Amino acid sequence: MRAILLVFFLAVTTLPAQITYNRLLHAKEEPQNWLTYWGDYSAIRHRTLDQINTKNVKDLRLAWMYQTGRAGVNETVPLVIDGIMYATVGDGIAVAIDARSGRPLWSYHHNFPPGHATSGVNRGFGVLGERLFMVTPDSNLVALDIRTGRLIWQAEMAPYKAGTHYATLAPLVIKDKVLVGISGGEQAVRGFIDAYDAATGKRAWRFWTIPSPDEPGGDTWLADSWQRGGGPAWLTGTYDPQLNTTYWGIGNPGPDLYGGDRKGDNLYSCSLVALDPDTGKLKWHFQFTPHDLHDWDATETPMLLDLNWKGRVRKVVVQANRNAFFYVLDRETGEYLLGKPYARQDWAKELDSKGRPILMSTYEPTQDGTHTCPGLAGGNNWMATTYNPLTKLFYVSVQEACNIYYSAPPVYQEGKPYWGSVFRGPNNEETWGALKAIDPTTGETKWEFRYHQPSWAGNLSTSGGLIFSGDEDGYLMAFDAAGGKNLWKINTGVRLVTAPITFMVNGKQYITMPSGAAILTFTLPDELTAAKPAASK
Amino acid sequence: MKLPLLVAGLLIPVCAAQTNEGGLDQGKAIFRSNCAFCHGLTAQGGRGPSLISSNLLHTGSDEAIGNVVQHGIAGTTMPGFDLPKDDLAALMQFLHHLSGSHAAESKPPGDPDAGKLVYARSGCSNCHRIGNTGSIYGPELTRIGAARSLDFLRQSIVDPSADIADNYGGITVITKDGRKISGVRVNEDTFTVQIRKADQNFAFFDKSEAKEVIHETKSMMPAYTHLSATDLQNLIAYLYTLRGEQAAGADANKAGGIH
Repeated sequence: MRAILLVFFLAVTTLPAQITYNRLLHAKEEPQNWLTYWGDYSAIRHRTLDQINTKNVKDLRLAWMYQTGRAGVNETVPLVIDGIMYATVGDGIAVAIDARSGRPLWSYHHNFPPGHATSGVNRGFGVLGERLFMVTPDSNLVALDIRTGRLIWQAEMAPYKAGTHYATLAPLVIKDKVLVGISGGEQAVRGFIDAYDAATGKRAWRFWTIPSPDEPGGDTWLADSWQRGGGPAWLTGTYDPQLNTTYWGIGNPGPDLYGGDRKGDNLYSCSLVALDPDTGKLKWHFQFTPHDLHDWDATETPMLLDLNWKGRVRKVVVQANRNAFFYVLDRETGEYLLGKPYARQDWAKELDSKGRPILMSTYEPTQDGTHTCPGLAGGNNWMATTYNPLTKLFYVSVQEACNIYYSAPPVYQEGKPYWGSVFRGPNNEETWGALKAIDPTTGETKWEFRYHQPSWAGNLSTSGGLIFSGDEDGYLMAFDAAGGKNLWKINTGVRLVTAPITFMVNGKQYITMPSGAAILTFTLPDELTAAKPAASK
Repeated sequence: MKLPLLVAGLLIPVCAAQTNEGGLDQGKAIFRSNCAFCHGLTAQGGRGPSLISSNLLHTGSDEAIGNVVQHGIAGTTMPGFDLPKDDLAALMQFLHHLSGSHAAESKPPGDPDAGKLVYARSGCSNCHRIGNTGSIYGPELTRIGAARSLDFLRQSIVDPSADIADNYGGITVITKDGRKISGVRVNEDTFTVQIRKADQNFAFFDKSEAKEVIHETKSMMPAYTHLSATDLQNLIAYLYTLRGEQAAGADANKAGGIH
């Protein structure tokens, strides 16, 4: 009986996925799946799954390990759709995996033209209908058949030139369009966000993150510096369907550490931009770090929350910015509501009533080096944040570090790094990391769990009362969301640089975390899950 | 102590603008932002050796020096710097300029043979090793004369806490049953700590089983302030002669995941 039932389940779960836009809109109502990079359009990364919970998480064990063959940093966030995991590997490679066993189903190997860069990290897929969307290290967007991994179409985001543009992010699907952004903030590019037609791969619109002189904001750049102004969009945006607005964090201006040739605020670098997803038109912007000199991209998760704010519910966007301040903005208008440091910082005296920083003398990098906190990696970076609706807390992986920033005028050479000098860690100065639980209505830290080193791992929240996170030494960990107690850990052997996900197949909840060359998936022993009773009915 | 190693991988070449003084100013800018951190603003040494007196600078060809800059020196804390050709040439020009305008570090006064006796008498080999002789507890001294400036050697003897060698920071674990174990912190993460004790054996702990984990701010090496001026001078003279080849890959701390 049991065998027959299992076969029945398999037959159900391997039907071709049909991911309609409607399913993406209601991704939170499918907690058994993980349908977008952030898990849902608002990026709260919370799942209403509680089979794994504070009481039994201590028994969590490895279910399977898939070896991608690609060592090094693994920044992917896999999608899970009806029992199948779709993971990008990096280097133009992707794979589909049976999410229960770890057995591969198909793989895709991008066909790179001779001379193109073939290596680079990738952060994941977007999905619509029977198509998966992925960017490649040579700045192409590819659409793959979800059943076979076969290439359907390919769109060029930017003409290939070595040492200039590249692409890493997971595409964001909105309606019938695939939104992507370009990388290259250290390579003297001019950043953009593109939308492509999901059916044909034809470009529907482009938003230049750095305006030309005749556009609004063009006067925030000196002379022709805007042409190499950076402002990459290398982390996936979020989306509010009611407001029909998509929110994207924009990266650093270039050159990173020298501002003499780009005097001005350098819009829209280090800003959050609110765009119309149908046209790419700018609705509003908020600049966190005007005239940035520390590579403090504003690409961190722009999380959408509806918060009780001084007596009424407000639609807000929150972000733990790389500049070490936690921000709350009204997401209809861009109005600044709150800004408070969540990590050590000594560059801004305070933020004024509009949220603009009042600078300290430590802000400017110099020829002989200026010691400034936070470090170039920032208080937070691409490590995903999470929000738990039960505790009403925002959880962020924090880097507590400072750097010495050097500055010198760079000579622009196409295809060469465009930093404007260097940075380094000070000697004999303690650095550490932490998982912090922050009340988003006040910016106050409610609890923190200290890590030995600054962590590059993101967070996941579940209704099992758990926060899953990772650290730089390779520990995947589970914490009590309410009090911050560490309840489970495993040393995965290499630094964790992406965020865990959770999903459910055949009555069993799983936790997946990529680590180095491996994709690790954990579950509870059968006797502790509902799988056994369900199968023996 | 974990930062220098981590940051070595993040160093980025600077492309300074050409000025009227041409490569010299460019070289100076490159030196200041990439090299001065260890070798001092005037290249007369700090954590790293003086570049004015170094054998390499005086006897090596530009090509040999460039090779060291670009690839680093295995088994030492000298990382490689991936400088563009123009920047490397400008840096070389600046280094030659410095050598011409600063007095070279001369051989120190003192008697190396007498210094060797001071080394033996003071028990240095209980913690340090030269070649295959001595303890692995403290930093290896096989090529310390080539790796450090004279001022730095002196300071390391009389005030070792002023700049503790990378990966030789001290740590003390006090267990719940009251035992106190001190040693060099070999590795550490959020949950565990790995110690090398003075007897050269390892001791491993879960932080959860410790009452307290103390990161020592002072060096594990005692300050040798009681040495007479003559003994100190002789000891430095002896250390200066230690320019042996350290076995390639001898730096155990280069293993992956060690912080």
